[in-house]
Amino acid sequence: MITASLVVIALAGLGFGYRLLVGPSLTDRVVGLDGLLIVGVSALTLRAMQTGEGAFLPVAVVVTLVGFVSTAVVARFIEGRGR
Amino acid sequence: MGPALALVGSVLTLLAALGVVRFGDVMARMHALTKASTMGLVLVLLGGALTLDHPNDITSLLLAGALQLLTMPVAANLMSRATYLARGIPSEVDAVDELAQREANGQGPVSAGRDGGDGTPPTGRRSRRPRPPAPGGRSGTAPS
Repeated sequence: MITASLVVIALAGLGFGYRLLVGPSLTDRVVGLDGLLIVGVSALTLRAMQTGEGAFLPVAVVVTLVGFVSTAVVARFIEGRGR
Repeated sequence: MGPALALVGSVLTLLAALGVVRFGDVMARMHALTKASTMGLVLVLLGGALTLDHPNDITSLLLAGALQLLTMPVAANLMSRATYLARGIPSEVDAVDELAQREANGQGPVSAGRDGGDGTPPTGRRSRRPRPPAPGGRSGTAPS
């Protein structure tokens, strides 16, 4: 069941990657990048569940925080630049 | 229990990705990402916390989930506001546009810390492209 979840997460990552590559505006690319961060954290957690080895789990916390800060910074950038 | 929860969360994230690929507007895509994938990630993290044994792992997972729940709405609010105020990105608001009403009332858009703190309203480059007036009688009815 965890393997199935990993496959599903990989498909979601394909969708977000598509939006990251072709998104017409900068906001679309940020949306795709945010989605890819979520996919990464999910894959990390699923892999930890599969192996029972939780040494990488603090990385999930750090990636969550970095994703929020980067989104906020890019939001300020978009607001000032206008595109 | 844990793997089933993780599978449900993964499917929610896949649905969010489907919305991000297929929706036609910037705001709609942001809506799809924010709501569905926040719930999906929190479900995956909860499933992991139910599956793993070590207290360190459970703490990390729950902390990541709590941080995600706290920061995702704030980040989405910042992004959608910046997209609305930006000039080059076409964005549409459906029925109720409270920010445009606020501008029509003479109050400037609430800026995220850009007011300078000295009470001067944001002007100049803050004046955006003209927006069609809000449909319906909303603009003239309730000047509070």
